[in-house]
Amino acid sequence: MTSEANSTKNAANGAPVRTFIDRQDLILMVILAGMIAIFSILNPRFFSLPALSNVLGDFGPVMLMAIGQTYVVISRGIDLSVGSILGLSGVVMALVVRDMNAAGYAAGLSISTGLLACLAVGVVCGLVNGLLITRARLVPFIATLATMGAAAGLSIVLTGGAQVAGAPRELILIGNKTFLGTFTIPVIAALVITAIAWVFLRYSRFGRWTYAIGSNEFAARGAGINVSRHLVKVYVLSGVMAALAGAFVYFRLGSGSPLSGRGGELTAIAATVIGGVSLHGGIGKLSGVILGALITTTVISGLIMVRVEPNWQQVVVAFLIAFAVGMQGFTKSGARK
Amino acid sequence: MTAPTTPPVYEVRNVGKSYGKLVALDNVSLALHPREVVALVGDNGAGKSTLVRILSGANRPDSGEILLDGEPREWASPHDALEAGIETLYQDSGIAPDLTVADNIFLGREILRKGLLGRLGFLDEPAMRRRAGDELAKVGVSVPSAGRPVAELSGGQRQGVAIGRAVAWARKIIILDEPTNHLGARQAAEVLEIIRKARARGLAVVFITHTLPHVFAVTDRVVVLRLGRIVADAPTASFTPDTLLKAITGLSEVPAN
Repeated sequence: MTSEANSTKNAANGAPVRTFIDRQDLILMVILAGMIAIFSILNPRFFSLPALSNVLGDFGPVMLMAIGQTYVVISRGIDLSVGSILGLSGVVMALVVRDMNAAGYAAGLSISTGLLACLAVGVVCGLVNGLLITRARLVPFIATLATMGAAAGLSIVLTGGAQVAGAPRELILIGNKTFLGTFTIPVIAALVITAIAWVFLRYSRFGRWTYAIGSNEFAARGAGINVSRHLVKVYVLSGVMAALAGAFVYFRLGSGSPLSGRGGELTAIAATVIGGVSLHGGIGKLSGVILGALITTTVISGLIMVRVEPNWQQVVVAFLIAFAVGMQGFTKSGARK
Repeated sequence: MTAPTTPPVYEVRNVGKSYGKLVALDNVSLALHPREVVALVGDNGAGKSTLVRILSGANRPDSGEILLDGEPREWASPHDALEAGIETLYQDSGIAPDLTVADNIFLGREILRKGLLGRLGFLDEPAMRRRAGDELAKVGVSVPSAGRPVAELSGGQRQGVAIGRAVAWARKIIILDEPTNHLGARQAAEVLEIIRKARARGLAVVFITHTLPHVFAVTDRVVVLRLGRIVADAPTASFTPDTLLKAITGLSEVPAN
C-alpha cells in the first residue's frame, strides 16, 4: 500500500490538513469585502460604526442559530425548528420577566429567571427533536418540521399573537449599552460563545464524534460510539443555541414577539451552507460559518440601507442558499467520494 | 472436526436466531482458537452475516450460549464485545472518510489531553497521530500520513487503515467481513499478509469471503454455512477447491475426511 501513496493525486499537493483559515475562508472573506464595498458605494452610511453595530445586532442571533445548525448538519441532519425556538423561547422569557417584574421582584432576579426559562425551552425543544429522530426514527427534516410548527403555534397561543412588553429598564440597558460604540453585551456574549463553539467543534471529542457520525454513522457505531445519545445532545445543543438567540433578540428589543423567529431557519441554514458545511454531513468548519453568517446579515442589512423592500430579504436569502449548495457541488469540499 | 491444540478463546454453542418465520441460524456451534485463521464461507443468505453480528455483539442469539475464555458472556451491545477484545470490521463500512487516518484509528478510543482540557474532552491530536502511525506500522500497514483525511487515500489504503485499526485494537478475536472485496490482486494480497501478521500476534481471526483462492491462501480451517446450519468444519488442507465449492453449494454434504 506504500507505493500507492504517490499515485494519489491529493497527496502530491501536500496542503496541511485542517488549518485554521484555508482557501475557502479566503474566498468567503473576499466575497464579504466585496459586498461591503458595493453597499458602501451605494450608501456611504453603510460604512459607519452605527451601521456596523446594526449588522452585529443582526449577526448575533443568526450566528447563534448557525452554531447549532452547523453541529446538526455536520452530523448529517437538519434543524428546521431553530427560528420557531427563537420565537418561543424569547416569548417565554418575556412573559416570565414581565410577570416577575410586575410582581415586584428585583430586575436581576426576574432577568436571570427569565433567561433560565428561555434556555429550558431550548433544551426541551432540542430534546423533542433528538428523541423524535433517535427513538421514533423520524428523519430530521420531518422531526424538526413538526417541532417548528409546534413551537410557532405555542408562541402564538401563549401571547395571543401580540408582542410581550413590560421589560425592566435594566434589561434594555444590558441589551443596548454599547462599548467602543459598537459592541453590546449580547454581541460580546455571542462572539465569546462562537469562539468556544469553534474550538470545541474542532478540538474536542464531542466535535470529532459529530464529524464521525455525519461521515459514516455505521463506522461510528462500530467504533462503540453511542450514536443515538450523541445525536440527542447535538439537537439539544441546537435548541439551546436557538434559545440563546431568542434571549439575544429580547435583550435587544426589550419585548418578545411570537413572530420574531420567522424565517430564522432560512438565515441559519444559509449561513451554514454558505460557510461551506456539506449537507451530506462530515464536512464543515465554524470559521466558514462565521463568514457565512456575516455575509447573510450583511446582505440583509445592506438591502435595507439601499432601500430594497424588506420582503425581498427572504427571497435573496433563499437564493443564497440555493447558490451556495449549488457551488458546493462544484468544489472539492462539498464532493463526496 | 479438528482436534484443537489449545482451548478455544471464543465459542458459540448451539446458537439459533430467527427473524419472524425466517430461521437465520439453526443450532450453530463454533469454536475459535488463538493463532488460528478460520474462513467462514457460504452462499448469500447462508447465515454468515447473522453469525458475524452475534459474534460481534451487534445481535443477541435467541438461544444458545457465548463463551469467552470458557466463561459464559452476554453482549448488550457491540461496545461490550469491543471492550472484551473482540474487533469486527464490517463489509465496506468500517471507516469515516472525512476524518483523518489517526482519527479513524482512535475513533471511540480518543486520547485526551492531560489535565483540565482533557476533562473538558479536548483531544491530544499529536499523540494520536504519532501512535496511529506506530500502530499501523506494527500490523504491517503503511499510509502516507496519519494526519491526512481517509477520503484522500486510495481504496487499498483505506481498507488497510480499516483492517489495521481492527488488528491494532483486537486483543483476542478479529472478525473481518469480506475485507478483500473490491480490491485489486495486489491490494488483496496485502490484506492477506495483514491477516497472517494478526495470526502471528496470537489473535483468532474469522475471515469471511467469497473468494475461494483467498481461503486457501491464508486460512487454517474452513467453516461452511448453508441455510443457517454449519455443514462443514474442517482443516483447510482437507478441502480441494472442488470439494469446498460442493460443500458451499450443497452438492456434497461432507468434505472427504
